[in-house]
Amino acid sequence: MAVTATPPTARPATVSSRTGAAAVTTALVLLVAALAVVDITQGTAAVGPAEVLKALTGRADPADASVVVASRLPRTAAGLLVGAALGVAGVALQAVSRNVLASPDTLAVNAGSYLALGIAAVTGVSLPLFASSGVAFAGGLAAAAVVLGLSGLGAGTVRLVLAGTALALGLTAVTEGLLLLFPQQTEGLYQWNQGSIGQNGFDGVLGMLPVAVAGIAGLLLVARRIDALALGDDTARGLGVPVRATRVTAVVLATLLSAAAVTLAGPIGFVGLCAPALARPLARWFRGLRRLRSAMPVAGLVGAALVLGADVLLRAFVDADTAVAVPTGVVTSLVGAVFLVVMAARLRGTGGATAPDRLRIRSRAVFLTTVVVLVLALAGVTIAAVLLGDSKLLLGDVVNWAQGRAGRTVSFVLDTRMPRVFAALLAGAALALAGTLVQAVTRNPLAEPAVLGVSGGGALGAVILVTTVPVAGAWGVAGAAFAGSAVAAVVVFGLAARGGYQQNRLVLVGVGVAAGTTALISLLIVLTDPFNAAKALTWLSGSTYGRTMPDVLPLAVVLAVGVAAAGVRHRELDLVSLDEDTPRLLGLDPARGRLGFLVLGVLLSAAAVAAAGTIGFVGLVAPHAARALVGRRHTRVLPVALLLGAVLVCAADLLGRTVIAPAQLGAGLMTAVIGTPYFLYVLVRSRR
Amino acid sequence: MRRLLFTAPLATAAALVLAACGTTEPAADDAKESTEAITLTDASGAEVELDGPAEKVVGTEWNVVEHLVSLGVDPVGVADVKGYKTWDAAVPLKNEPKDIGTRGEPSMDTIASLKPDLIVATTDLQPNALKQLRKIAPVLEVKSADAADPIGRMLENVDLIAEATGTTERAATLKKDFGTTLAEGRKALADAGLDGAEIAFADGYVASNQVSVRPYTSGSLIGAVNERLGLKNAWKQKGDEAYGLASTDVEGLTGLGKVQFVYIGNDGDESSDPFANELAGNSVWKSLPFVKSGDVHRLDDGIWMFGGTGSMERYADALVASLTK
Repeated sequence: MAVTATPPTARPATVSSRTGAAAVTTALVLLVAALAVVDITQGTAAVGPAEVLKALTGRADPADASVVVASRLPRTAAGLLVGAALGVAGVALQAVSRNVLASPDTLAVNAGSYLALGIAAVTGVSLPLFASSGVAFAGGLAAAAVVLGLSGLGAGTVRLVLAGTALALGLTAVTEGLLLLFPQQTEGLYQWNQGSIGQNGFDGVLGMLPVAVAGIAGLLLVARRIDALALGDDTARGLGVPVRATRVTAVVLATLLSAAAVTLAGPIGFVGLCAPALARPLARWFRGLRRLRSAMPVAGLVGAALVLGADVLLRAFVDADTAVAVPTGVVTSLVGAVFLVVMAARLRGTGGATAPDRLRIRSRAVFLTTVVVLVLALAGVTIAAVLLGDSKLLLGDVVNWAQGRAGRTVSFVLDTRMPRVFAALLAGAALALAGTLVQAVTRNPLAEPAVLGVSGGGALGAVILVTTVPVAGAWGVAGAAFAGSAVAAVVVFGLAARGGYQQNRLVLVGVGVAAGTTALISLLIVLTDPFNAAKALTWLSGSTYGRTMPDVLPLAVVLAVGVAAAGVRHRELDLVSLDEDTPRLLGLDPARGRLGFLVLGVLLSAAAVAAAGTIGFVGLVAPHAARALVGRRHTRVLPVALLLGAVLVCAADLLGRTVIAPAQLGAGLMTAVIGTPYFLYVLVRSRR
Repeated sequence: MRRLLFTAPLATAAALVLAACGTTEPAADDAKESTEAITLTDASGAEVELDGPAEKVVGTEWNVVEHLVSLGVDPVGVADVKGYKTWDAAVPLKNEPKDIGTRGEPSMDTIASLKPDLIVATTDLQPNALKQLRKIAPVLEVKSADAADPIGRMLENVDLIAEATGTTERAATLKKDFGTTLAEGRKALADAGLDGAEIAFADGYVASNQVSVRPYTSGSLIGAVNERLGLKNAWKQKGDEAYGLASTDVEGLTGLGKVQFVYIGNDGDESSDPFANELAGNSVWKSLPFVKSGDVHRLDDGIWMFGGTGSMERYADALVASLTK
């Protein structure tokens, strides 16, 4: 700790920091080596430490030796390579965008690469490894280009993460849709969208090693220039650094590294975000590590330690054969999420997101027109949703049904279709309302039940209940979802509350919790019910399949309460969303109102999750779009957001039910597919 | 722009309302006459009442579809018809049934439009979906598999479906033939000196350079058939409670020793034969005793590992032929 006390300008500090950096690097090398050794001794064959030692000294029986050479070592090597590549990519992206949230995950690079590989697989082209890494590179680069193009390099942190997480969600949804459209596995196996470092021989590792080495070497070469960018673009230019060229080079090389990792092992979540985040505190103690040239190897080592540590942990706690079925990416996401949450909660001075909406004053006519248009759209979508499906109906059928005199087929179709339409409409409205409330309270345009992990917590609660009590009723599921959401919300808001809702911290903690719940849900299902793809689909991406009216009832009740409460207190919402001081000046206690609105938001998201699974995007898009359309006053925002949410989810559900009928896509996948382009469009427009 | 935004939904809604008037089906009127009623108790303990032997039947899983076809009842609706044709060629469909969607989420709309007399579903379907299906038509819910007694469970399912469709005589024949085929297979294997030989049946798949192997333990249907054929299951892993399946990777095969390694893949699914493709150059695989001795057998495509008597008879015949070659 004495090092921190050293004045930064003092000469001797450079010397001691250099030794410090060397010490840190050595310690990390030892840690990674220790993890690698442990990893080599773990696996499904009865080849433990003794046999491995014999194999490495060439005295083992040939079968044991081949296990070490063709299974253990490739897996460990892949872990090292993937971890190092993602760690280095993450630190380079963060340096070049001057943004602690930049990473292959948040810039959608991993998602883009994985989608490109998915498209290649679906079209039936079987590519050699090198070519598929090229495909992955192209996909990742395209995604990064879109994100950076929309948000601008070095521009607002929030905009970058907004664009990146939005695109990543959308791309992942498309990949998932592709896997459903062209199922390769008929055994009912669910594709987790998570990678695994298990390898079949050394071919993959050897194929990707040159790519990774080239990427890391290239980044080391431009490291000094990237360091100069940290001083600001103008200063960097003054120093003779070609700013634009340096940025482009760094992004391309980082993408190359992520693409190599995705090609080798599939997407391994959060390593690129966490490794630099974990390496950063070290830089606070050892100034030498602030330079990218020494920070990159450290981040790479931390990345490798994360991936190997996740693998070691998994194999230590789960029996060897079951561990095979659990993707490594699930465990890194879990480990990474915990670290991310802890790190984010301890972050100081992360700065706040400025509210991106300009204060728009819209006339009453605009508001009324918007509402009328939306009501009509809602009516249209609802009618279409009721009439369309595998069996097309006409309105007379619905009238007959409503009067209880419909024929057999029509009754059956509508009996099963109506609850789905209701679930979609109500879930959309509830999520939109929850998003509006949370955004108003936090004054954070990124805050949304799904992004903050509140929806994920709800889904986790529901999955735990459904797994342990198979006959749980609708109210039970809703209760469990609420418990889960409440825990997630308490964690997120509790950890982020210190010093006000410092907004980057709130989102960072939320993203961590969301990723953690997703990983836990995956883990729970893969361990208890591995062949139940439908269950995974519902709780990870949202679906209205199989809903009955009693399932929808809790949601309807909660939504009615929520709308009434928000409607009565809309002025308080306006005040709370303004700033910290105005409510106090007016003699109001903002804390109590805030808490009430938050609880309501959590309740709404939990009810929506219980009825329709985790449907993302709606709580983000609907309030955002509503404010853009009618200004900031909640008396106007609330109805517009509610209508938008209902229209969006209902349309998504309709599409999901009809595009590949009789098979179906989840409503959550469709909201992401519909929501992403819209969201990016809003982002582009708000830039002007 | 705003005017367009305003008029477009209005016009759409109006068009929808106008175009969508009328009915696709006349309002309900008369009651049906009943013939001799059938009452059954299914796996959920629910009483299933039918007016008579079901003729228009829908199957939501391939095993019950196979049972139906074997019993001479051509189903009107089948989940994932293409998949069935690929994976269950042992008992091919004799008609062109309507595709009702995926096995995990069959489409209620499509099933309802088929107006079935009976829906045969398995416990794999989510409870909510079963609840909805019960509104459409009587549902015979059968337990998909039971690792405690896989063959018994399968045959009971055949019986249950036979009762509901009035084909009990055919079921008796099926069961008899099944028993005969297994007995003949056992004799053929014993004659070839393979009585008590160790067998390991598996399937495998590939995802991002990783090869996963699924051992069929003695709780699986195929594992139980192997034992009836006088073979000994070599897997040491514990399977799940329904299907008796475990999971492992290529390393996990090193515990097998000298066994007969048998698997089924499918030419329609590229990633389904890692043993001949991805693992061919793997030194762990090459060092396995049964690989060295050439005791790796790929059986014919289209024998459904979780199927009925037809699939299992085809399996027994193919296995005997392959082992005694």
